[in-house]
Amino acid sequence: MAKKKRTPAQAARKAKMTAKDRKTLASLVGMADGVMKSANRGRAPHLEVPSRSLSNVKFNQSRKIIEMGSAKNRRELFNLSQARTYMQTMLVGRGCKELIEQGKTTSIRGMYYLLKHTIEGTREETFDDQADCDPVIEDVEVTLNALREELHVYASNRGSMVGNITLVDNGDEINCARMGSGGYAIPSIVEPEIMQFVECTADFILHVEKDTVWRRFNEDKFWKEHNCILTHGNGQPPRGVRRLLHRMHNELKLPVFCLLDNDPWGYYIYSVMKQGSINLAYESNRMAIPKAKYIGMRSRDFELCDLNPSVTIKLSENDIKRANQIAKYPWFEKKKRWQKEIQKMLSNGFKLEVESLISKDISYVTQEYVPERLAKGDFLD
Amino acid sequence: MASQVQASGKKRTKRRSTAQSMAAKQRSISVSEFFAKNRHLLGFDNPRRSLLTTVKEAVDNSLDACEEAGIIPEIWVNIEQTEPDRFKIAIQDNGPGILKRQIPLIFGKLLYGSKFHRLRMSRGQQGIGISAAGMYGMLTTGKPVKIVSKISIRKPAHYYELQIDTKTNNPQILNGRGDGLDIPPGEKGRAKFLKHKIDWESHYPIYEEDAEPKEIRSGTRVTIEIEGKYQKGRGSVDEYLEQTAIANPHVTLHFNDPEGTLHTYRRSTTELPPEPKEIKPHPYGVELGRLMTMLKEQKEGTISQFLTGSFSRVSPAVARRICEAAGVSTRSGVKKIERSQADAIYKAIQVTKIKNPSTDCISPIGEDLLLRGLHRVVPGEFYVAATRPPAVYRGNPFQIEVALAYGGVNSVQKVSMELLERLLEETDTRTLRQFMMNTFDGLGSDSADKIMKAGEFGSRQSPGKLDLSDRERLHHCMRNVNVSDGQSMQVMRYANRVPLQFKTRDCAITQTIMQTNWRSYGLTQSRGSLPSGPVRLMVHMASVWVPFTSESKEAIASYDEIQKEMRLGLQAVGRKLGIFLRRRKKVKQEGERRSVFLRYLGEVATAVSELNGCDREDLLSNLHRVAKRVTKEADTKLDKSGKKITEESEVDYGDNVLIVDADHEQNLITHLEKADPQKKLF
Repeated sequence: MAKKKRTPAQAARKAKMTAKDRKTLASLVGMADGVMKSANRGRAPHLEVPSRSLSNVKFNQSRKIIEMGSAKNRRELFNLSQARTYMQTMLVGRGCKELIEQGKTTSIRGMYYLLKHTIEGTREETFDDQADCDPVIEDVEVTLNALREELHVYASNRGSMVGNITLVDNGDEINCARMGSGGYAIPSIVEPEIMQFVECTADFILHVEKDTVWRRFNEDKFWKEHNCILTHGNGQPPRGVRRLLHRMHNELKLPVFCLLDNDPWGYYIYSVMKQGSINLAYESNRMAIPKAKYIGMRSRDFELCDLNPSVTIKLSENDIKRANQIAKYPWFEKKKRWQKEIQKMLSNGFKLEVESLISKDISYVTQEYVPERLAKGDFLD
Repeated sequence: MASQVQASGKKRTKRRSTAQSMAAKQRSISVSEFFAKNRHLLGFDNPRRSLLTTVKEAVDNSLDACEEAGIIPEIWVNIEQTEPDRFKIAIQDNGPGILKRQIPLIFGKLLYGSKFHRLRMSRGQQGIGISAAGMYGMLTTGKPVKIVSKISIRKPAHYYELQIDTKTNNPQILNGRGDGLDIPPGEKGRAKFLKHKIDWESHYPIYEEDAEPKEIRSGTRVTIEIEGKYQKGRGSVDEYLEQTAIANPHVTLHFNDPEGTLHTYRRSTTELPPEPKEIKPHPYGVELGRLMTMLKEQKEGTISQFLTGSFSRVSPAVARRICEAAGVSTRSGVKKIERSQADAIYKAIQVTKIKNPSTDCISPIGEDLLLRGLHRVVPGEFYVAATRPPAVYRGNPFQIEVALAYGGVNSVQKVSMELLERLLEETDTRTLRQFMMNTFDGLGSDSADKIMKAGEFGSRQSPGKLDLSDRERLHHCMRNVNVSDGQSMQVMRYANRVPLQFKTRDCAITQTIMQTNWRSYGLTQSRGSLPSGPVRLMVHMASVWVPFTSESKEAIASYDEIQKEMRLGLQAVGRKLGIFLRRRKKVKQEGERRSVFLRYLGEVATAVSELNGCDREDLLSNLHRVAKRVTKEADTKLDKSGKKITEESEVDYGDNVLIVDADHEQNLITHLEKADPQKKLF
């Protein structure tokens, strides 16, 4: 990379920078200055990277979100096991600077390709694969206390939305009530600079786990009938979806209801949406929705809805292990109803997917299951 | 067998023999007859080993004689092939020579010698060896043993041709009508040597250009022709002589092998080992039977006098305590001691506290000479030696010495194409793999497999059926495959400075090495086997009486006391080796560390300079400076070539360590602390 010459065209493409960009850029330069200063003084340069491990997250009881602790890891250039990561951190910093200066964004995969090259004089690559690069990007985020969006890097688009809301995305007005069967693909960056809400008449948000369930609801025009916004995150929702839900929840005062599978994975998705994730604990306060509610599937639904035993899926060893882990999370530990819920699933010995309700009737879930529970206010918190 | 039993059941068998007829056949057996039939007991079981045993017995005798007379030994070994399976072996020394009347007895009578009846450290013990070699020669080739001996520069030399009468175990002189041949000194004698075609080295070889040849003042030359087989490799004459040179740095050896090549091992010191003293037996080492014989031999005096006079470390006070414990009066006469009383005395000895025997009767090689000897013969980078203080087993004093050489090239990598071809012709192994493992010492099965694989040889390839291109490929692979990983430790065992070459597994030395945990000293070792690595280890046991497992003197018996001392010696050298290896590993790691850092510095500098616009080259040179400081340990070890490691004074190995710069062909000695083992021990 060292020899990569900047073309005049690249230099000319300096874009207008927002205040936020300037702030990010300053902290990037600050990081580089630190290296230079210690090198000038003959000291070994190092970075303080906040620790992103389970041991460094705390559950804030009053705010009901997961917060990152203050523990930091020293990343040293002259440490055999850290030298390579240190070099990669600097490379990512440089990549971000390039993006900010040019006013462009790229995916984490794009970032990987932008920085990947053979180290001069060796046969070693700066990054072996994408998995080598992703954690470093997160490290830069936490080190600079900048969001991924502020670094002009985005995650892949995953998740769709329909409903009675109109918004502006990057200057284009979008009416989410007129998105056809595909829905509006939620972008990765939904910050106020990019996306503004124009009008919203919906009463609540229904978030479902998967695309298949979401289509059922969209096809049955559930959102029209119940005046809501319908979203899905394709499994574990990406940052964009979580951030958008958080914004709509807080700015438009819409309650969020989740319809997820009855398995440890579904529980965890709920946990992440409600309290934030361990890995991205530093973004909890702008993503977690502590007031989100869990509609289903519930363990008791097998009897309640009189389901056929053939739609159940046996719990695997791994599922049981994971369920026990989840039951011990501090944010579930004190909730008796949740403990009961998890115990019930374990004693059932099987899990239930939302799709299993189709065995009753194709539209059972949209016409009876969800409306019934919404009406009764029957959900887990 | 079964049919015989059935037959005897049917009819009465004839009486086969009577006590009378059997008595007619009963007669005494001469020692010579016994050993002629049981020659394997003495090390003459196969042609190859017979050749070695013959050389070994003669050389051992020569060294013993020289040292006893205080002469710095110089020995000539000549092996000449006379017929396809016959060899003429001649060994000459510069020892004191043998008196004319003793020559026939020493070489022509089994169990005749000076060493059996005394307790003194020497190579030979029983007085069987050389006469047995002569007898074996006579049995297999019919040729007599020829001896030339000279006791002074002015006195005539004596020439004998001898045979053993195996019936009576007595010598028969064949030449000069049973009286031998006298050769006068000086010019006249030289003509007579030529006339009778008697070989004799008359002068020492010259090493300096213009030095006068020095005449050999005295000495003995013995020539034996035997049926044998000359083969290089493990258990060969070459190996024996090489190992002898290591343990006897005061000896110069000239070896003329059957191919006519002269090998010379020159002495590295002119100092003779201190003369070992003769001691009386220690009471703890005496068995009941021996005690009774000694009592019988004692003609007069009291029991107290007997005990103090025949044993070491028995003072009158100790004798009194023994007698009290045995319930025998100290003043009772030796003649009157009965069997039961002797038994009581024997038991009393065991329970009485007696001081250990004095240990000045053994002369160890010494750490300094061990290092020098090992360094002269074995290539390596690191040498360490340890001489244990003397200890005692069964009342016999003994001393253990251990020396270790690390590094260097395996013999498999030094072999020349010509030698390899000859080795391939000579070998009697079935597969190539076996051939390599048996011929090259220390080449483990893993390394042999590696070579086989590299050369793409079949696993059952016979070494005899290789064509020229195969042989060249094998040679190439042997030289280029890295075998140092799979190499197993090479062990050289010595008893009283004599190398032991057979029965490796039975020997206390090998067993102790295998029981020692070498992993903590930086070597790899699988459970219950020798450690691997380019290591040569020598273990020497010096004692007035080395407990061999058999008459052919090839393995040391495992006494607990001996094994304990060996273990301590091994641990002493192991620790030093561990320090060296760890140190070397660290230096290597530091070097690697630096190269890792340097690899990334360029990238970091580029990224930083693009981030904040600073000067890339400035930053890079600053970072390099820091990198150098952080990894300075690697620096102190780097020399001009950029990869070599030299030890510096900050590592304190103590004395008895020798480190050699492996990159220099001349094997410069960089660090040698002289140790004075004698001073330390006594």
